[in-house]
Amino acid sequence: MLGALLYLRLTSLKNLLLSRVRRLKQPKYLVGAIVGIGYFYLMFFRRFGAMSSRPRPSGLSLAALPVLDLTAVFATIGALALLVIAAFAWALPSDKPGLAFTEAEVAFLFSAPISRRWLIHFKVLGAQLRILLSALFFTLISSQWSFLGGNALMHAVGWWVLLSALNLHLTGAALTISRLVEGGVSTTRRRVLVAGLVGAVIVGTVAMTWQSAPAFTPRDRAGPGAILAYVARLIDTGVLHWLLWPGKLLVGPFLASGAGAFFRALGPALLLLAAHYFWVVRSETSFEEASIALAEKRAARVARIRSGNFQLGTAKPKARREPFHLRGRGRPELAFLWKNLLSTRPYFHWRVWLVTAGLIAWGVTWGGRQDPSGLFAGIVATFAALFAGYTLLIGPQLARQDLRGDLSNTDILKTYPLAGWQLLLGQLLTPIAILTGLLWLALLAAALALAARGGTISWLTPGFRPTAGLCLALTVPPLVTLQLLVPNAAALVFPAWFQATRQRGGGIDLMGQRLIFGVGQMLTMVLALVPAVLVAGALVFLTQWLIGLPAAVVLATLVVLAILVGEIWCGLWWLGGRFEKLDLSAELRP
Amino acid sequence: MIEVHALTKRYGDFTAVRELSFTVQPGEVLGLVGPNGAGKTTSLRCIAGIIPASSGTARIAGHEVATEPVAAKRALAFFPDEPRLFDYLTVRQHLNFVARIYGVADHEAIAQPLLDELEIADKADQLPGELSRGMKQKLAIACGLLHGPRVMFFDEPLTGLDPLGIRRMKDSILKRARDGAAIVLSSHLLHLLEEVCSHVLILKQGEKIAHGTLAEVTAQFAQGETGVSLEEIFIRATGGTEH
Ligand SMILES: Nc1ncnc2c1ncn2[C@@H]1O[C@H](COP(=O)(O)OP(=O)(O)OP(=O)(O)O)[C@@H](O)[C@H]1O
Ligand SMILES: [Mg+2]
Repeated sequence: MLGALLYLRLTSLKNLLLSRVRRLKQPKYLVGAIVGIGYFYLMFFRRFGAMSSRPRPSGLSLAALPVLDLTAVFATIGALALLVIAAFAWALPSDKPGLAFTEAEVAFLFSAPISRRWLIHFKVLGAQLRILLSALFFTLISSQWSFLGGNALMHAVGWWVLLSALNLHLTGAALTISRLVEGGVSTTRRRVLVAGLVGAVIVGTVAMTWQSAPAFTPRDRAGPGAILAYVARLIDTGVLHWLLWPGKLLVGPFLASGAGAFFRALGPALLLLAAHYFWVVRSETSFEEASIALAEKRAARVARIRSGNFQLGTAKPKARREPFHLRGRGRPELAFLWKNLLSTRPYFHWRVWLVTAGLIAWGVTWGGRQDPSGLFAGIVATFAALFAGYTLLIGPQLARQDLRGDLSNTDILKTYPLAGWQLLLGQLLTPIAILTGLLWLALLAAALALAARGGTISWLTPGFRPTAGLCLALTVPPLVTLQLLVPNAAALVFPAWFQATRQRGGGIDLMGQRLIFGVGQMLTMVLALVPAVLVAGALVFLTQWLIGLPAAVVLATLVVLAILVGEIWCGLWWLGGRFEKLDLSAELRP
Repeated sequence: MIEVHALTKRYGDFTAVRELSFTVQPGEVLGLVGPNGAGKTTSLRCIAGIIPASSGTARIAGHEVATEPVAAKRALAFFPDEPRLFDYLTVRQHLNFVARIYGVADHEAIAQPLLDELEIADKADQLPGELSRGMKQKLAIACGLLHGPRVMFFDEPLTGLDPLGIRRMKDSILKRARDGAAIVLSSHLLHLLEEVCSHVLILKQGEKIAHGTLAEVTAQFAQGETGVSLEEIFIRATGGTEH
């Protein structure tokens, strides 16, 4: 039986790796992999190498205090973290935690003549693969922690012990809770119980330290390490001392300072691990039903991530009232605005925008009047500018109620009697509206704040201010549209890549691709903006002597708008053509 | 109505559909049959303009799909094998959305009888996530029928429907054919195709191996026997091992 289960795990792994490797035959994935490896190397390995060859001058300078036994301090802190996780593991799960199986596993395994114990075995052993990889990854990260003794191999084993124990404990807790639920212990009762225990421990510990706390001497104030050590000593008293004990055993191997200490710590840790294993495998509770529900939930979540509906402002599917009345006739693009607005949160509604604008207007003017020094206005203006910058740069990655969220419906979208560019434009309208709204609010705040600050900027005369603000506001929608075109283009031109980056984690090639992605977005933006900015600058420079600054700015804005709209039109037209030719099923083949 | 000429679809070196030609007149129902992987879905997707064909042409209501896609698509409805719906739109909102896309002015008056006919009227305010698979399929069908298409492509329309649903589906396909629609449908349920289709086209490995009215195709493979079922014909035509 175990053979079959192991076979399933191992062949799945093999096929995953094979398909990853085969994917590298496509140039775009190969480039991604190279960039990813380079990035990884620069981030971790180089420092790793540098560290082992010469002592690090800085970093966590805790080790600079040789008098302190920092290992014990970190053991206490690590054990405390484990204890907190354990408390959550017992308190958080809803009424039926179940074990996490995939839908395919549910379909194949639950109906197969396999005993529960073997299913648990399968789960526990199957998790080992991920744990091993995570252990390696964490070892790389912790290689920069200068307070650690031992070598990389010991750290890897240490991480493995820790992660395995955590996994086993969570599994055991889930199974035991299932049993408790069957026995009639309600979720509320369990949570009250856990909360009560935690509270009692906290109260007990605080009471203990209150009475017998070691004095806070200047020596304890000597540096962060000393303070940490003092805190650790405070925590490690009374009941908590005993509760922390298993955790300390588990972190022991990881924190061991040398080979001898490592092997001495390994024994107890492994024993504890074995006890956990025994506990989990022996817990024969009926977890199947809960696991099926869990698998469905997970599959739904994965589907949501894959289809891109997982980010800013995307609500859980819920029947909602229409954002506006959609008549049968009219521009079909607006139908997409209507549809995609339905997938956002209800507060993306024009009434909410208006109220917010009113609040901002009132708040900023009121605040400006309260604070004649201009400090408040300055802060508001700075924050508004920062917010606007972030929204413009990051917003398109977060507001994805456009083609990216609808890629799985490509087939049906393509049967609509619309040209590709129309469909694309329609799909873009919702994030354009959302981001434009946010940027306009920021602009409003900044403009009012600058108005309150008065004549600190000489060329921003009161007469010129409304013109400048209006011109800026006018350029916002095309700018946002351009920004949004880039990720949508990426989704259309590299669907496999885009689809893959929607999943979390992924291979080293995906990491590289994400990097390329970000850089590509920046580059495209700069390229798109250069002509507009150059022309606008030249126009203002040349004409302001003739027709005055406000008129020159208005003229330049009009020209900029024309250039941006032209660029957008070209982009839409080209991408629309790409969309008409797209065959998603062919692109997504491994 | 539907004119397909020498349609070929290649994926790399692999030819999924080879030199397929046929026409479907108004009022005709063509049944597309063939073993798994024969190229039925691929053909339908090419003809409906969802994926570009590698060579050959397809005309829908007189408009070539490759060069006048918008006009061609205005006349057609395509029903994929898996119903594709929008997670956040209720049944009624789906119909509202589709109405705007196709510019159907009085959509409420059309939608209600459709919902009644498909028996999902009581689910009008539910999201796809709350519907069963068969109901999702019915919703997808309602969306496709809303604009009164003259050309319809059904890819496995009967899977997932209950017996009554299958009967209704059959009736509504026949009714639309009587009203002058040209219909192509692919299905593995041959005894049902026998009742619905006027013509049959058998595909095997991307190639047409038989095409004609039900009687013609039967005669071609019956070898003089009478009362041979379409299932038997299918197995003989595609070289199954039974018999
Ligand atoms: N995107 C693609 N890339 C490569 N090959 C493909 C692609 N899509 C389909 N094929 C291949 O084309 C052939 C025809 O597939 P198609 O889906 O049209 O078959 P079908 O007749 O609809 O089968 P079924 O009865 O199972 O639905 C199959 O061999 C399939 O593997
Ligand atoms: Mg098919």
